[in-house]
Amino acid sequence: MSNPEFKRNLWLSFSTHRLAAMPALLGLTFLAAALADPQDNVAERLYGAAIMLFIFIVWLWGARNANAAIVDELRDKTWDQQRMSALSPWTMTWGKLFGATSFNWYGGAMCLVVVATAGFAAGKPDVLANAISLCAVGVMLHAALIALNLHTSQFESRVIQRGGMGWLAIILVFMFMPAFSLGDQKPVHWWGMEISHALFWLDTALLFAACATFAAWRVVCNALQVRTRPWAWPAFACLLAVYLAGFARGDNSLWLIGLFVSVAMTYAALFTEPNTLLRWRKLRLLQQRGDSRGWLEHLPVWPTTLALSFAFALLAMLTSSGPQNEFSPVNMLQPQYAFTIALMLLRDACILLFFSFAPNGKRAVGATMLYLLVLNMLLPFLAEVAGLSTVRFFFLPFEATYESWSSVPVMAVHAAIALGLVRWRLRNNEQP
Amino acid sequence: MIEIGGLTFDYPGHRALNDVTLTVASGSVTALVGPNGAGKTTLMRCIAGLETPLEGRIVVDGMDVIEQPREVHRIMGYLSDFFGLYQDLSVARCLEYAAAAQGLPDDDIPDAIARTAERLDLTDKLHQLSGNLSRGQRQRVAIGQAIIHQPKVLLLDEPASGLDPEARASLAALFRQLQADGMTLLVSSHILAELDEYSTHMLALRDGRMLENRTLKSPHAADEHRMLHLALAQPDARLPEWLKAHAQVVLKEADACHAEFDFRGDLHAQAALLKALVHEGYTVSSLAAHKENLQQSYLRSVAAHLEGKQ
Repeated sequence: MSNPEFKRNLWLSFSTHRLAAMPALLGLTFLAAALADPQDNVAERLYGAAIMLFIFIVWLWGARNANAAIVDELRDKTWDQQRMSALSPWTMTWGKLFGATSFNWYGGAMCLVVVATAGFAAGKPDVLANAISLCAVGVMLHAALIALNLHTSQFESRVIQRGGMGWLAIILVFMFMPAFSLGDQKPVHWWGMEISHALFWLDTALLFAACATFAAWRVVCNALQVRTRPWAWPAFACLLAVYLAGFARGDNSLWLIGLFVSVAMTYAALFTEPNTLLRWRKLRLLQQRGDSRGWLEHLPVWPTTLALSFAFALLAMLTSSGPQNEFSPVNMLQPQYAFTIALMLLRDACILLFFSFAPNGKRAVGATMLYLLVLNMLLPFLAEVAGLSTVRFFFLPFEATYESWSSVPVMAVHAAIALGLVRWRLRNNEQP
Repeated sequence: MIEIGGLTFDYPGHRALNDVTLTVASGSVTALVGPNGAGKTTLMRCIAGLETPLEGRIVVDGMDVIEQPREVHRIMGYLSDFFGLYQDLSVARCLEYAAAAQGLPDDDIPDAIARTAERLDLTDKLHQLSGNLSRGQRQRVAIGQAIIHQPKVLLLDEPASGLDPEARASLAALFRQLQADGMTLLVSSHILAELDEYSTHMLALRDGRMLENRTLKSPHAADEHRMLHLALAQPDARLPEWLKAHAQVVLKEADACHAEFDFRGDLHAQAALLKALVHEGYTVSSLAAHKENLQQSYLRSVAAHLEGKQ
């Protein structure tokens, strides 16, 4: 066995009792499903039951075990030993990904045999595609949880103390479950192509499983002090934009969707990455030394998608042919506000840095969220109630009653004030 | 074996290591001492490549820890002050995992487990779950995991905390044995008396700065410069002045009955001094080399540091 991490997980996951219990319990469950209603089509019922059991055993239970693969190491203080090992990041990644969930895959494999046998017997279409999709979603869920838990652990140890990001699996399971519903499945229209439902979900699941596994490997690399440069995060934003734009109509919807994907990913990274003053001092030091490789290796990922947001905003505005109400019913989703949105993102990032660079920056995320709520909701609401529409526009410049270009200088003022605050904080809060 | 230059490490609002520069000699056992918060654990974690410093360079056996952490891990063992074990694995499997994870070939692993278990007196515990072991036994398993690949450098952060006196004595014997095998050890502990038993060097840290990094002398070393302690059976008021006048003596403290002084001469010169004392009519009851223990050495470093500050 060439992967010690995988082997260790097998030791922990399997026992003679568990090896025998899983097929016995599954056999009894399938027998019960087959005998439940003798009048009905047995193969069809077994097919449905096997899919549901697979979802429970691999997706949900497996997600719990993948979650524990990181949470337990950190909680039991064995993670330093793993970081001190000579294992390569990839060996560690796949050892955890398939080792921690090995018992679930053992049960899942039996379910897949029933899916395939019963599916062909019942004359179900796309049995093989569905089976592969089920597996790919499982891998995606497990890899995503490993990546997210490791990523958040470097910033917020309370996430680990509370049991990690396992709750996210529930959301993802409900997102992907409709793809395997037994009803009529219409073809999917994507980038003008008509693709069969099963094939589309197969491609989607494989694509995101590959992305999640890659993400898990990258996060493990960083945890093992193997430095990486921050190109994968913006590349994933571009990939996601292309994927989502395939469903949209409109000439410049790719740029607008790219903008919103980049904005969402910037916020996600901004609030989950360490943004301490120390990190930024290290970056300044590397910049002064002209060490561009080291600078890129220590750079958080959110500035990359922030830059991408400005690029998408410019493209959206340059290719815009006026308001597109059909696609964008909300004002701020219209192309002429694209640059304002990018500036708003810059402002919010600066607000977070302002709080993070404070002498006690532990509650920076909470403070930022609170002030963003005040700035974006409470103050505009109070201005509205007071009948001060100009003041309201100054806080939230997305109103059709004003020229859309005027929103850019307003948000530029916001961003300039926020940048000034960060500079002020940096000047006044130097380390010894 | 370990060379550190200009190492600086910051925590939010606090500089844990401030421009630390030091070397650790190959084959030495270096006691890393200092009060709580001095930066001992941070220094060890930086050497182990588990933390990235703000500035500075760490080289272990010719390899840059920041640039090649994975390569350095192959020749390094580390026992954290808050170590963990896989509670549901047997001792043998804990050791097997550690050996394989450190890149030992599969064929060598059984021998490595047997050798390590024997060295740590764990042979009869190999099939017990690590979660069922006592604190001392768990500590030995953790050390076993750190040394199973026979690293060149072993970092131990408070290895004896929570151990009973018997377990501490066997740990000291193990460290001496590892040093004899050519391993370089860096050991931090609050219990200086315990470090005294096996340390060859002392590295004192305070407020993130290095106070002193020096060799600890052996009491039996026939070198040209050592501390002697003199005791008289009968008090004699002439003693301090007589010693002060001796060319090879630098008096540290003296009264009518005792004296402690730095003697600059070899063992023959020491014998001549004793002869002269007896000849002068002093009732010498003892004249012996006095080894400064680690505690005294450390406190002297701290005193010098505080004096320098004032």
